[in-house]
Order: sequence, then C-alpha cells, then structure tokens
Amino acid sequence: MTIALVRRPGLARIRTRGSWLYLLCLGFLAVVVLLALLAPWLSPHDPNAVDLGNALAGPSAAHPLGVDGSGRDTASRLITGARTSLLGPLGVVLFSTVAGVIVGTAAGWRGGWLDSLLSRTTELVFAFPGLLLAILIVSIYGEGLIAPVIALGMAYLPYVSRLTRSLVLAERERPFVEAYQVQGHSGLQICLRHVLPNIAPVVLAQSTVNFGYALIDLAGLSFLGLGVPALTPDWGRMVFDGESAIQAGYPLCAILPCAAIVLTVVAFNVVGERWADRVARRDR
Amino acid sequence: MTTPAETTLDMRGLRLHLPGAARPVLAGIDLTVAERETVALVGESGSGKSLTSRSVLRLLPPGATTEGVIAVQGEDVLAMNAKRLRHLRTHTAAMIFQDPRAAINPLRRVGDFLTESLRLNADLSDDTAAERAARMLDAVGLGERVLGQYPGQLSGGMLQRVMIASALMGDPALILADEPTTALDVTTQAEVVGLLDDLRERFGTGLLFVTHDLGLAAAISDRVYVMYAGRIAETGPAQAMFERPRHPYTAALLRSTPRLATPQGRLAAIKGQPPSLREELTGCPFAARCAFTTPVCTEELPPHVPVRSEPTRLVACHHSDELADQLAESALHD
Amino acid sequence: MTDTTGAGPEPAGGGTVLEVTGLHRAFGSVQAVHDVSFSLARGGSLGIVGESGSGKTTTARIVVGLERADAGRVMVCGRDRSGQPGRGRTQRLERAREVQMVFQDPFLSLDPRVSVGNVLREALRLHFPETRVDHARRVGELLDQVGLGSREAAALPRQLSGGQRQRVAIARALAVKPAVLVLDEAVAALDVSVQAQILNLLADIRRDTGIGYLFITHDLGVVRCVTDDVVVMRHGRVVEAGPTADVLADPRHAYTRLLLDSVPRPGWNPKHIAAARRAL
Repeated sequence: MTIALVRRPGLARIRTRGSWLYLLCLGFLAVVVLLALLAPWLSPHDPNAVDLGNALAGPSAAHPLGVDGSGRDTASRLITGARTSLLGPLGVVLFSTVAGVIVGTAAGWRGGWLDSLLSRTTELVFAFPGLLLAILIVSIYGEGLIAPVIALGMAYLPYVSRLTRSLVLAERERPFVEAYQVQGHSGLQICLRHVLPNIAPVVLAQSTVNFGYALIDLAGLSFLGLGVPALTPDWGRMVFDGESAIQAGYPLCAILPCAAIVLTVVAFNVVGERWADRVARRDR
Repeated sequence: MTTPAETTLDMRGLRLHLPGAARPVLAGIDLTVAERETVALVGESGSGKSLTSRSVLRLLPPGATTEGVIAVQGEDVLAMNAKRLRHLRTHTAAMIFQDPRAAINPLRRVGDFLTESLRLNADLSDDTAAERAARMLDAVGLGERVLGQYPGQLSGGMLQRVMIASALMGDPALILADEPTTALDVTTQAEVVGLLDDLRERFGTGLLFVTHDLGLAAAISDRVYVMYAGRIAETGPAQAMFERPRHPYTAALLRSTPRLATPQGRLAAIKGQPPSLREELTGCPFAARCAFTTPVCTEELPPHVPVRSEPTRLVACHHSDELADQLAESALHD
Repeated sequence: MTDTTGAGPEPAGGGTVLEVTGLHRAFGSVQAVHDVSFSLARGGSLGIVGESGSGKTTTARIVVGLERADAGRVMVCGRDRSGQPGRGRTQRLERAREVQMVFQDPFLSLDPRVSVGNVLREALRLHFPETRVDHARRVGELLDQVGLGSREAAALPRQLSGGQRQRVAIARALAVKPAVLVLDEAVAALDVSVQAQILNLLADIRRDTGIGYLFITHDLGVVRCVTDDVVVMRHGRVVEAGPTADVLADPRHAYTRLLLDSVPRPGWNPKHIAAARRAL
C-alpha cells in the first residue's frame, strides 16, 4: 500500500534523501520554537517601541538587524512574531487533525452512506479555496486570530480526513482487525486501540507538512491585513509593514520575515516528508 | 572434475554473503542441471533454495557478495557484463515465479507481456514476436485470444501458463521454476507440472524446480538436492533418495509431512526451528535439531561424501552410514 | 479427566457442538455457498476440503460470524447464531465464546504493535474482567499450553518466527475458552517441519480441552492427520461427506478421487490428472 502525503507542487520537488538536510531542518525548527517560547527574555527591545527619529536605520550595535519604518527593532519583532506565527498554524493543525481523524475514521470504518455523506461534504470544502473561506469568516467576525484559525482548520480538514479514510480502509482489511472482531471487541475499541495507533505516524507526518502550509496561509492573511490585530508582531504583518521600506530602499525589515516564513515552511515540509518515509520503510 | 559437455547449469562452490548476517546465506553450493534434466531443489523457507535459483540469473539482494562459479552453458554468470547478462536473461535462462499475479503487470495485455523482452532485447520485429507469442501460448494450451486479454481476466492456473509461455519465448536452455505451483490448487498443480514436463522434453531444456514439497519433488524430478541452512544436506537420484534417505534431515522432513499413506495420529515433528542468520554455525547446521547428534556433529562440519555403493549420491552427515537402516524407515512410498 | 481450561459454554445436551443446516450465500450472481449442511461432534474434528472457489472459506466465515448467510442456520451448543449479530456487549462476548478462529497468515493476523503477552491480556480483560488478579498466571498457562515461554511474552510479533506467531494466534483463541475453534488454512503458510509441530500441538489441545475443530484446508494429508470427519466441497456444494478414513480410502465422488490423485507422490502421472480434471 502506498500512501502519498498531499503536497503543493513547488515543495514536492524538494527531495529528502540526505539526512543532513533533515537534521538541519529539525535543528532550525527547534531554534524557531525555542525563540518563540523564550521571546520575552530574548528580544533585545520592546517589539512595539516606536522610535520615529530612528526610522529605517540600517544594522547597528543597538539594532543588529536594523529597524522598520516606524523605528521598531526588527530583531525583536522577528523573535516575538515567531509566537503568533507559530501559534496560529498550531491551532489550525490541531483542529484539522483532530476533526479530520474523527471524520476520516468514521467514513472509512463504517463505510456505506456515512462514507458517502462525509466524503462528499469534505470534497465540497476541498473545492472551496481555504484562503477565501478565511477571508469570508474574518470579514464577518472582524479581527482576531480565532476566526482565521478555525476557517483554515476547516479548509485543511479534508487533507487529513481523506488520508485517514484511505489508511483506515487499508487497515480494516488486515486480518488482525478481523481477529479482534472474532474475539468480541467492539468496533470502537478496535479503532481506538489498534487502528488509530497504527495509522498515527502517517497522519502526524501529514499534519507536520500542513503546519508549514497553514503558516504560509496565515502569513498571507496578515499581509492582507486580515486576522492578526495591527500592533501584534507577526511575520506576515511585518512583510506588509515593510513594503514601504522596500520602496524607500531599506529592504531588510521586509526580507527577513519573508526568509523566516519560507525557511520555516520548507523545514516543516522536509521533516514531515522524512517522517512519512520512515513510516513507509518500517512497514516494509 | 571436468564439466560434461551437456551440462546446462554448473554451480561450483557458490557462497553468498549478505550484510548483517553472521554466516554466509549460501555456504558452498555445488549443483548441476544437465540438458533435458529435471532437478528439484528442496528446502524450507530460509534454507537458501530460492536465493540459489535466483543467483543463476544474478538476481541478488542488494549488498550481496558472491564467491564461486555459476556456469550456464559454460559461461560464468557472476563474471558477465551487463550486455551478456541481458542476453542470458532473454535467451539462455528463464524464470517462472511463484505468484504469477505478482509477476505480471496487471495493466498490460498478455500479448505485450509476452513479447516485450524479445522486442526490446532481441531486435525482433513486432510481427515476428507476436507470431512466436501465439505459438508459445498454443504450446501451453492457451488460445491466441489470450494475447489481447488482461491478467485480471485469467485464472491463476491460466496465468501460470502465460508465465511459462513467457519463459519459453526466448527459447531458453534452462528454466528456473521457483515454487511455480505453490499458489495454485492441487488439481491445477498437476496440470502445470505435466505441462512443464512436456515442454522440457519437447524443447530440450533443463529444469531447476524449487519447491518445499517433498512429494512433488519425488514425483517429477530426476535428481534432488535437499538444502538446509544454506548448504546441500543430501543429493542424489530422486527415487533412491526418497526410498533410502541418508541424511537425518531428509528423513525427518519425510516423517513430518502429513501424508495419505502414513498411519493417522501424531506426526514425528522436527523439534526447534531452523537456525537464524544471526547465529554463526560451527559443525553440522542440523545438529541442534537432529535426533542423532553426537559431539562430533557440533564440532566439525560434515563434508559431502559419496554414499557407499551409490556413487551418484552425496550426503553431508558424519553418521550417515551407521544410521542407514534407521533413516530408511521414514521412506516415502506410494 | 479434569478439564484444565474448560471448554466454554456447556453444550445443551447431545453430542453435537456445531450444527450447520442449509447454508446459502451468494455474491452477486455467484453462488458461493449452496445448501451446505454438516455437524461437528463435541470434542470432534471436522475437515472441510476444497480448492479455491469451493466456498470452504466463505462457509467458515459464516460460522465465525464474519460473513452473513442468505439462508440457513448455524447452531452452536444448541443456540442459533446465524441471525444479525447483536450490538450489545454481552451478546458480542457470548458469540465470541462460542466460536474462535485461527487465520491462515500468522504474519498478518497479529497487530504488529502489540506484544504477545498483551495480546493475551487483552482477550482476558475483555472476557474475564472479574478475575483480573489471575490474568498474569493465566497468560503464563496459555503460553505454556502452546509451547511458548515467558521470553516470548515480551516479544513483538515481528521478533517471532511464523510457527511461533501461529502459536500465539492459537493461544489468543484459547484465552476466550471457545466451544468451537475454526482453523482456516492455519498451517498452510508454515514450513513442513513447523507445520508438523503445530498439528501435534492442535491434537494435544483437542485431547486436553475437548474443543471442537472445524478445519478448513486444501491439503488432504493434513485432513487425514487431524480430522475425524470430512466434508468435500466443490463450486459451493458439498459433494461428499463422511468419516475421514472412509472418504480417503474409498472416495465415492469423482471429484474426491481427482483430489486424491492430485497429491504428488512417486510414480505420479500429472497428465492423467489433467485429463480427469477436464473430464469432470
């Protein structure tokens, strides 16, 4: 049985052969997560301290990565921005994974009309662009992280539920599942104790890849000025704020958050893909 | 010893190492198949019987290292370059696999499957190849209609005939059949075996028949090799060997097989399991499970010696001669 | 004789533990099982022989409850179990204690993540929750009964050989204390030397516990070795039935004769068999 993770075309070309790339990405992610966790202690300045007199200054001893158009320290904003930039995708992934696994397992295990109903419904969601859905919900509920996270969570649910469904279908055919049925275990018990733990690694690998995509989408929303409130430091928001700085010839405060986004997304992709490969090897 | 001219396959001292294994997977295999001869290679899983037959086509697992000589029609397979190897696989030796459904691409028509190798490797025109495919299908008792069908439309027995037809496409001198009937029903097995036997006679090929079924080996082969843990335990003419087994392993295998002719009741099972590849072996590989083990068995590797008064038989057992009468009790009668 | 493990529910009188009458099952237009009836004596062993497509496996799956019959009845210890399986826990467990099954492929019938000890503990926890303190002892007993030691209890399935895994599968079935054990080609995937060990083990277990065996196989040698009675199936129908020794010694039906002739042996003539098969 081959189960392919859903990946976007551009990223699908990255090959995860060498283990150095995987280790590098894993290390990079660890650093980003640590920065986000320890942001209040690590950031050299208040990320929201405005110093208009010093606007658009280049790197200096006090501001190693320079300042933005409002004179805010780029390094501090990058570090603090990691928090919102990671928290949002985390919410999206948690929501889509939990809900997707429930939907996919129910569809795959029960089959019949329930499968048709759930599969068609999720396909409907698939057909609707996630970003558009998020914009719609944000425009109804206004600013805040909750609305876009739930919207994107809904949009990502089909990725997880379709994968889960196909995995459960394959798992259900395995004789040991029948053996447990013959033993008198209920369907729910078999699912929880034997089917889900067996498919978990693959689903988690997909969720890891999804994390990167959710990060891009949420950054995109922030760039459009939706979602994250104006003053909260956030990578997507920083790119938006840095637009004018680029025009003024000071690209650093826009390029750095861009790089942070791209590198983090790639790292999540490499790590997730690597995990999936490992599961596939173990099963062989 | 000189190689007789008519020897199709002549394997000398084949040793095969795999990475991570504590002992050689094949530890010095000497095996010959003559023209028009059926040779059975019998053993349990892990004995190395499949590996032995696959190595004739140099279908080796990744990381395998080999020593020895595998001469097919006088040419050493292990020393061939890529071009010669392709020629060998297309024209000289062909393999029939256990599960035809797994060995045939389900999305291609039978006709494509049959002609592919010849069209690619022998520069035959499509028409000539198709004509030969139809002839071979006829030889295995299938109609030309099958050419246009997909594997999914055929039964297991028919597919195995297709497999045999494809093995015959290149007019090989040697057919390697790796458990070709294990996935088939017993009545179909008889048909496929009968067919193989016919074709061997008609095309003058040698046949190396790998099987775990002693009864089948006894029924169809001229000579038998019994393998255990990467070595030949015993070899000789089929009839003599099954009537008077001289290696305790052969005898034990015969006794532990549930048969129609033996009295009902408990079987004489062989205790324990075959040695794992992680263990090194000193002495006789069967010593740990043998009922007649003495200290010499665990210390010294028994050499292959000819059986007294039967020079065509070789047996690797320290006590073969003393045990002759006891072992003969487990003979296979019809 | 003292019954060391118990044989599950006591039969409701009579010498029959399993009675199957008039079983029918169709898949689409294919009649997989057509009017199949047989009965299994208490402590007896019944073989169902046939080739692929004979309906023997479907019959076994109906008996176990993995497949539904279109018509017909399956009675175990006098209770009808051919109806729609109930969703209630009590009924589910009761059905499980009537019939257990050992599957063909020991490599696939065990959850790769669950250790041998836990496989057995799961079954005990489900069926005997009230005797929880006893479970460790019982796991030891079961392993001992199938010839495994405490070393194997901690092992995962992939660390065991095929024969050892099949022993685990048998122990798992015994843990439930079933009245009938269905063995679906349970030794077909094993090597000859290991197969003999398992067949002997099964004979010992039957002698010690009085569990009835329904033995599904294509191998007549195995049938002869482990069954008292045999049913020969072809194309979904029973073509011949009777005591194993009689059927194998003096087959009445041409198909049974063909099956017997097909078993390879010295002096075997495959061409005759092929001709007989076509004539049938």
